[in-house]
Amino acid sequence: MNPENRTCREIEPDLVAVAAGEAGASATRGVERHVGVCRGCRAELARYRVLEGMVADLRRAPMAGADPTLARAELESKLADIRSRLISYGLFPSPLGKILIARSELGVSMVRYIDSERAARSHLARLAGDDAVEDKAAVEATYRELVDYLTARSTRLGWPLDLRWAGSDFQRRVLAATAQLPYGAITSYAGIARRIGEPASVRAVAQALRHNPIPIAIPCHRVIGSSGDLTGYAGSKIGLKEQLLSLEGVPVGLRAHRIERGNMYVRFESETEYCVPTCGSLSKTPLAELTLFGLRGHAEAVGLTPCTACRPDLHPLSA
Amino acid sequence: MGRDMTEDPFETVVAAHHTEIHRYLVRATSRSGDADDLSQETFVRAYKFYRSLPPDANVRAWLFAIATNLCRNHYRAEGRRRQAMAAAAAGASERGPSWPEGEAIASQASARIDMIVAALPFKQRVAFTLRKVHELDYEAIAASLQCSAESARAHVFQALRKIRRGLDDLDVVHMERQP
Repeated sequence: MNPENRTCREIEPDLVAVAAGEAGASATRGVERHVGVCRGCRAELARYRVLEGMVADLRRAPMAGADPTLARAELESKLADIRSRLISYGLFPSPLGKILIARSELGVSMVRYIDSERAARSHLARLAGDDAVEDKAAVEATYRELVDYLTARSTRLGWPLDLRWAGSDFQRRVLAATAQLPYGAITSYAGIARRIGEPASVRAVAQALRHNPIPIAIPCHRVIGSSGDLTGYAGSKIGLKEQLLSLEGVPVGLRAHRIERGNMYVRFESETEYCVPTCGSLSKTPLAELTLFGLRGHAEAVGLTPCTACRPDLHPLSA
Repeated sequence: MGRDMTEDPFETVVAAHHTEIHRYLVRATSRSGDADDLSQETFVRAYKFYRSLPPDANVRAWLFAIATNLCRNHYRAEGRRRQAMAAAAAGASERGPSWPEGEAIASQASARIDMIVAALPFKQRVAFTLRKVHELDYEAIAASLQCSAESARAHVFQALRKIRRGLDDLDVVHMERQP
């Protein structure tokens, strides 16, 4: 190799390529021809070949400062943190109109009726920021279960729930008590207030249910006013409340937005029996102390037996 | 059926590639001790985009590209870059004492090469490491460095040339006598 020699200078890249085994046929021939006559470049080629071998050792040699154990552990915990914050959501058509379903690794965190897609997305963005990612596949199974439920193919949404968007401990208690209401059963806001041991907080209960982040799954549609009025649902969507209750066999509609208490079976407090509505003094008992069922089957599905005095099994209500 | 979110396929990606990406970053950052942070950020970033990655994507090359990008941005702050270069150069100049007596020549040479690599300009260092240590093809290196495959090849060549020159004064490098 002679730095003054133009050929030697120009052939160096090919020399390196030959040593690395990356040279094409014509470059290889050129190098062979040149090193045949140039002793310096022959030595240089040999050096590059040795260098390739040393470089190959770099792949195997242990490296100071290259222990990834700590970095890996930190990464795992950071990913776990990101994963737990991550929200996947999708927008879907349903018998109740367009809905948004969102979930985390813990469970379903939001069901929302959609008037405007933009408003729904920005609502979610306000709550979750960058952590909300549209990913229909991740909520597809949840969506199918919801459709089965809304088309009466199933009566149970066995979803794990993520209550991250329940605002307060009070709201959590309200939502938990509401979630206990069986399929096809209703009570009043005052009834929920009694069940969480805050009988005076009827308004606060109504308010907490107004901001229910997971309607349908947490069946706030089963909670109504003390007089039998459906009161409100999801803003001004009282029609959806009627639809959901009708689906569950609760008689509504003869008089708009009211349930027909006289047509429903009754459970008093936490009795293990259910009665016809005229049993004893039940017809005068405040709704807050009762759970009402549109269909006997739904009462018996949660383990209640017919009252031995009024015998709802022998004298069923006419539909 | 929807994907089950509790079975995160990204865990497999971390298990398969974290060690190698970390090792790459140790060299790419000139051993400045930033590999821990940057490898973490590489995978955090990858996690965010992983779900939108086409199913036939080369995940490994994609991770190297993310790591290289982060590394470049990291060094864009000129001060840090100079600091790292100075540290690497200082490491290179104190070579004698840092080598244990009687250690195998090959490992001396390896350590020496690593020091020279640490002092290379960013693109040469990265191109060399991706090609020679991690054996990525020139297309993938070009994608990482946002240049052409030809430039990627040229960066590797320049790096090899400098390493070759840098080994000149090692008396063990009478290389032409070796098989």
